[in-house]
Amino acid sequence: MEELKGAIAVMGYGLAAIGPGIGIGLVVASAISAMARQPEAAGMVRTTMFLGIAFTEALALIGFVLFFIA
Amino acid sequence: MEQLILASGACDPANDIICKPENVIELFQFEDNLFAIGPWGITRTVFLILLAMVIVVALLYFGLRKRSLNPSKFGVTIESLMGFVRDDIATGIIGPEGVKYYPWLLSLFLFVLVGNLFEVTPLINFPITSRMAIAGGLSLLTWVIFVFVGLKKNGFRYVGALVWPTTVPIALRPLVGLIEFVSTFFLRPLTLAVRLFANMVAGHLMLTLLLVSGWVFMSSVGEIGIRALIGIPWFVFGLGIYVFEIIVAVLQAYIITLLSAVYVESSIHIEH
Amino acid sequence: MLSMLTQAMFLFQEEVEQISHDAEEEVSGIQLLLPHPDELIAGLIAFVIVFFFVWKWAVPSLNKTLEARQAKIRGEYEAAEDAKVEAESLLGDYQEQLSGAKDEAAGIVDDARNAGEQVKADIVARAETEAEQIKERAHGEITGERERVSGELRRQVADLSLSVAEKVVGDSLDDERQRELVDRYIDDLGGVH
Repeated sequence: MEELKGAIAVMGYGLAAIGPGIGIGLVVASAISAMARQPEAAGMVRTTMFLGIAFTEALALIGFVLFFIA
Repeated sequence: MEQLILASGACDPANDIICKPENVIELFQFEDNLFAIGPWGITRTVFLILLAMVIVVALLYFGLRKRSLNPSKFGVTIESLMGFVRDDIATGIIGPEGVKYYPWLLSLFLFVLVGNLFEVTPLINFPITSRMAIAGGLSLLTWVIFVFVGLKKNGFRYVGALVWPTTVPIALRPLVGLIEFVSTFFLRPLTLAVRLFANMVAGHLMLTLLLVSGWVFMSSVGEIGIRALIGIPWFVFGLGIYVFEIIVAVLQAYIITLLSAVYVESSIHIEH
Repeated sequence: MLSMLTQAMFLFQEEVEQISHDAEEEVSGIQLLLPHPDELIAGLIAFVIVFFFVWKWAVPSLNKTLEARQAKIRGEYEAAEDAKVEAESLLGDYQEQLSGAKDEAAGIVDDARNAGEQVKADIVARAETEAEQIKERAHGEITGERERVSGELRRQVADLSLSVAEKVVGDSLDDERQRELVDRYIDDLGGVH
């Protein structure tokens, strides 16, 4: 039973990581194209990119926490 | 070293393919007191927390001690670090009044940075920020500060603007308001704490498991023969992660400081 | 009563220990997530010390250093500005002097050239005058000589004619009358010519 619970928790974390993975990819891709288009705004774009990553990452982090709680 | 013994004690290189402790808590919680100051026992973690404090203070002291007109290389590094927090984070995000929050943001950045870099410091190899006490405590402080600033600058309108957002169609306001309320007062501090904590826990776990496994397998070549080769990929992978973790340590210190500044900014300027 | 209470407390304590022991076995994951009180206190104390150090010493110290550096740079900049102004005025002076010297040199050269031309013109004029004089003198001499020769010739011709005529006519004519005659003849000859 204990083993099974651990395995499900691992799967749950894996599922929780899919969405944020895609999301972070999108954020960074847009940030790169924005920086390529307007290199003079690169500093602002980078800050905003980190913020976007941080917010997107939150879901994966909650999954990570649930992995330990389960 | 302690962790090495802990982890390898629960390891059987003849049968397992990786060394892992019975319970991951063994890698993060040290119950034995190293020494005691009066009635307070100092565990390894508490000692490292105090060490981080001493290191931050010493870095600043030796970096700024000589008020010379041509600073040394070390002084320039400290000064540019401080300038970076002041210009890019404090005033860059919050605006001109961000100077007020600059000391807090700078100490947050340096304390977390040193705490994170303990992860990849030889002989210490333990990030104090992987303890919820540090990550959560600092996030709680951020929470207290941005809620206090919001109430002080905007009074009750701070909460009002959150739960009743006037820029949204009226039918959606209760829903958006609820989401905003939960996200601001519960998810913000939670994610702020967990982001730092989880990154450091994950990094420390990876490093410890991979490097200890590699070491245990390769060093027990006499007993297990050809199986010792299993240790080589673990060790190489561990070294790769080691470099990656240096970047993560710096980046997470930057992100927690940046987000703290963003939260304070959103408490000051509530119109958006 | 007291013993019962003690016994109850003992039982309770045992139970609590049992529960906490179970909890330790069960929820080790959660334990990782919950802040450890000792570490929380230590962390907050450490952070507050760092914060006060940064607030009261590091930031003002850096600001002072930056101000001193700024003042020094400003001072150096101003000194450089002064030096630049001085250098520029010196350069102006030198340029003025230089252009004065150039003018002077040009004037000297002009004077010399004028003087030379004057001398040249004088010499040419004098030479011309001299040549003219010589020419005139020569001319005068030639004219005088010609008149003298012409007079001489005329006399000789008259004499010769007289003597020829005497030989032809004899002494019939007096000298005075003869001379008149010959002169008239010669004048006629001159008129024909």
